[in-house]
Amino acid sequence: MTQDMSNTRELVSALADGQLRGEEFARALALIEHSEEARAHWHAYHLVGDVLRSDELAAGSARDVAFAARLRQRLQQEASMERPENAMNSVAFGADISRSEGQNRAEHPGANDASMRWKLVAGLASLATVMVVGWHLTSNDGKADGAPQLAQVAVPVQPVAVEATPAMIRDPRLDQLLAAHQQFGGTSALQMPAGFVRNATFERPAR
Amino acid sequence: MNDPTAPIPEAVDHTDVLLVERTLAGDQHAFELLVIKYQRRIQRLISRMVRDSDLVEDIAQETFIRAYRALHQFRGDAQFYTWLYRIAVNTAKKFLLDLKRDRLVTQTALQPDGEEDETSRPGNEPTTDETPESVLAAREIAQAVNAAMEALPEDLRQAVTLREIEGLSYEDIAAAMDCPIGTVRSRIFRAREAISARVRPLLEHQSGKRW
Repeated sequence: MTQDMSNTRELVSALADGQLRGEEFARALALIEHSEEARAHWHAYHLVGDVLRSDELAAGSARDVAFAARLRQRLQQEASMERPENAMNSVAFGADISRSEGQNRAEHPGANDASMRWKLVAGLASLATVMVVGWHLTSNDGKADGAPQLAQVAVPVQPVAVEATPAMIRDPRLDQLLAAHQQFGGTSALQMPAGFVRNATFERPAR
Repeated sequence: MNDPTAPIPEAVDHTDVLLVERTLAGDQHAFELLVIKYQRRIQRLISRMVRDSDLVEDIAQETFIRAYRALHQFRGDAQFYTWLYRIAVNTAKKFLLDLKRDRLVTQTALQPDGEEDETSRPGNEPTTDETPESVLAAREIAQAVNAAMEALPEDLRQAVTLREIEGLSYEDIAAAMDCPIGTVRSRIFRAREAISARVRPLLEHQSGKRW
């Protein structure tokens, strides 16, 4: 049997059929690895088998060499980055590829990764936004007076009470009452004005 | 009825298992042999889901890359192709979903009815980039294989038929043909040599490239 296997191509043929083990397997693999001719036979034998099973599989077989060459380049890139057993935690059966962020960035760098200027511009823009907002808030002492606000509808219309008691002290029980019955207030949970406004006022004891 | 891309229930191919082990040990050439072995079936499978032949090749490439990354998950208790088949289907479906989200993509790249089923496109319907030349080239190869098969001596034809079409092991073929296993091995090899002698010149002429 070993004499039969001395022929290189017969060895490749037996390898294609899963008949080799141990030393013979390693020898056949080394042959294909180092011999273009042996690799061509490996391809031809499998192509013959495919076409015998179905003529459909002859389609595109002329591109097999180019396909394998292209994939070889990609595999070399993969191998240079990571060994297969360490590369992924889960992938095959419909799950997304869980690759490390660093690896994804290395393979698919952002369009502006090459230019530090864009990163600088983004940083400065963020800083400027924070400064403008901060300046705006401090200059108005925390009160926004420009845009109309729905929540302001009810409270400011109390000039009488302010006139009578310059130092108004709110009754904490009133706060509790308003908090407990917030749904009856002037605005709904959606910040929309209700159809009417309820006000709470301080009245003079004399009245 | 007979889908050449569907996984065939048969005993685990020991060569595949050994090639996977070698790949995991760091031998990239071992994985390339698996690629050469299965690339046609994988591309044919994907071409039943996607019309654009360039896209078919891209998805097939991605399938093998994913398989390479996930190779440590292959346990060897099923056929390697069965495992690869599922990766290919999932990869193709993901590509199709991504394409549908991309408004720039033309519908010609997808299924005519937008389905994502590997069985929905007839096998003889050409993909968008298949040219008359490529169809003719495939036909020439198929004809060369079939003609060479018919020209084989009966014992060689029977041996290679039992192996390639029936999927029998050498031991079973030896029993069926009442001859030693070594004879089976020799007959299958000689049959392959005779057939590939007719096919390889066509391949080299069509592709203009060598391994």
